[in-house]
Amino acid sequence: MAESSQSKSGGKKRSRSESEGDPDADADAASLQSIQLENDLNFTDTAIALQMMKAQFPKLDKVVVRPFILRSQLYSSVKDRTQVDRDLESLKKEAVVRVFKLNTGKDDHAIMFMDDYLAQMENAVKRYDAKDKQLSDVFDWFKQYVIKSKTDVSISHPELCSLLSNGGDVTEKHVTLLINAGLLTCQLIDQNLYWFVIPNIGSILKGLSQGRKELLSLINRTKYKEMVLANLEKKRLRLSPLDIRFHIRDLIGSGLLKTVQSPIGLLIRLSRD
Amino acid sequence: MWTWKALKQREDGLLRPSAFRRGVVSSRASSLQLSNAKEFISLHRGAINSLEIDSTEGEGRYLLSAASDGTVAVFDTHRPTSSSTSSCASIAQHHPLFHLPRAHKFAISRALWYPVDTGLFITASFDHYVKLWDTNSTQVVLDYKLPAKVYGIAMSSIATSHSLIATATADVQVRLCDLASGAFAHTLSGHRDGVMSLEWSSSTEFVLITGGCDGAIRFWDIRRPGTFLLLDQSLSQLGTRPPLLPTPTPSNNESTSLPASSKSSSSTPILPAQKRRSHKKIQLKPPTQSSHPGMASSQNRATAHYGAVNGLRATADGFYLLSSGSDSRLRLWDIESGRNTLVNYEAMSIQTSKPIQLAVTPDSSLVFVPCLASLKAYDLWSGTTINTYRGHYESVNCCFFNAQYQELYTGSNDRQILVWSPSIPAATQIVYLYILGIP
Repeated sequence: MAESSQSKSGGKKRSRSESEGDPDADADAASLQSIQLENDLNFTDTAIALQMMKAQFPKLDKVVVRPFILRSQLYSSVKDRTQVDRDLESLKKEAVVRVFKLNTGKDDHAIMFMDDYLAQMENAVKRYDAKDKQLSDVFDWFKQYVIKSKTDVSISHPELCSLLSNGGDVTEKHVTLLINAGLLTCQLIDQNLYWFVIPNIGSILKGLSQGRKELLSLINRTKYKEMVLANLEKKRLRLSPLDIRFHIRDLIGSGLLKTVQSPIGLLIRLSRD
Repeated sequence: MWTWKALKQREDGLLRPSAFRRGVVSSRASSLQLSNAKEFISLHRGAINSLEIDSTEGEGRYLLSAASDGTVAVFDTHRPTSSSTSSCASIAQHHPLFHLPRAHKFAISRALWYPVDTGLFITASFDHYVKLWDTNSTQVVLDYKLPAKVYGIAMSSIATSHSLIATATADVQVRLCDLASGAFAHTLSGHRDGVMSLEWSSSTEFVLITGGCDGAIRFWDIRRPGTFLLLDQSLSQLGTRPPLLPTPTPSNNESTSLPASSKSSSSTPILPAQKRRSHKKIQLKPPTQSSHPGMASSQNRATAHYGAVNGLRATADGFYLLSSGSDSRLRLWDIESGRNTLVNYEAMSIQTSKPIQLAVTPDSSLVFVPCLASLKAYDLWSGTTINTYRGHYESVNCCFFNAQYQELYTGSNDRQILVWSPSIPAATQIVYLYILGIP
């Protein structure tokens, strides 16, 4: 039953027996049709939530991107937000995950597992062929010195130079190469600070912000600004390559949508201030 | 009923009177509703930007409000001036004791009572002036002209050796105005953009905390130059108090081989090229750079928020600081260690253009945050939303919690001051008032 639902849409749906952190796992096995988001919405632990959401990351045809999770999705899945923040902080310090600040909207962060990020970086570096082979050593230095020691979302220019110079002589051209390859971005507010970014993610971010708007307008157009979650899940978004579950979790976590229990199931309602 | 049982326990000696009082106060504070017994008739014709009750010992009675049409009004919160007669209930109406129609030329951003008594009050406005008024004659006694529009002022309520007004302006410098001499005492520079909010420390009289439009929160000791602490949102601690034992940091071999000085951001901008694999670093420090802790942080670019810091409030015990930013985040900082406690206050949206006034209950259990057109009350330690107060038609700018009677006053852009009082049935109301000693 679960296999047929897997081939339906882009999102992966796991069978019930595999879900560990699902609190409703042992409830009504009789009404098992396909795993609905309604039963999958809450997790007990941050690490489990991260693993589960990584497994559910949609397969994208055009761009190859390793799974990442948005921070707002974590907030919608785990009850206690403070615990999420603290767990994330300790995971960051242990270098299991890496957090990136995105430029879509205020306070958006993406979380990616370290090995995924390193693989993504390798792909990006391979795709970007540096004209000057000498300068391409900087990618190794970056991976070896900067990523491993700096766990923040941003880095200042002097610190970047000092960490890179453990590998060799560093000039401005090396930093430019890193920016061109898509591993670092300049901050607008401050020229001396750089943000770490996930390379080749631009089209997905555009899809993210457009998909958010589309989903909000979808619910806004209904008469009472609400929709049953089961029906909402079946819709497909035109403008976003990411599936609708991704967006639903993200919007619930950032507070723009809220879930309401009702006799017919879970309703998603637009939250008014 | 909680109170009756607790009352019996108190009588029997099972519950101490102070614990009983605390329980009563906290249950009242968490059950606030729009008051149906009291209202303030506000004559302001502009958005209300600041509300403050005087902090005289034991009697916080007079409410000072300031609006963006340049008017100031004072209300008596104890005695109503009249009551509206309606069929079932009469609402006590409080008209202003006095209303100054043209106190300033432009909008007033903040009005404060003089901390010692209600004989003086201070107003700060976008017309670049900070004025000191005599309450009884409603005349200006002193005024200070500042170079840019003033976003906020603060006076320390525990100060005994100085009477300085700290002013936060759109200029990068924080100026301290001396009441005793009528001139500027000194300026504190270090912010890289205007300063939006400031607060004196509630534990010592010499420490000032400022929050700027660049997102930085700085702690200044006014007896010496420079900032001694800058709050960085990436430095965090797990838990509300720093751990007793120092945790071993999981750093790699590469990073531990670097000397600590190379990590500081106060070193020169462009480092000279280093030898391969050399562990010694040759730093070209400018010879005049002193090791004074205050000066080192002028180059420190750590931010506490991703946007401007538009509200600051320290808890009454002086251990924690709450800061709200225009990135719609409220953060709780442990002042002693200077770290972010990572308490996450559920989704809120904070207006970005104006400074807002937060309120905290004195027993540090609830924090009230104006979020656009509503006011939200959060539990301070866990960050869960306790209540949302919806009553204003437009964005709420300021709120003040009257700790004596557990009432909340809010002012917003819709020119109204609303009163939120504890919603308890009338029979127990009399018991409560008797217990709290309210005549």
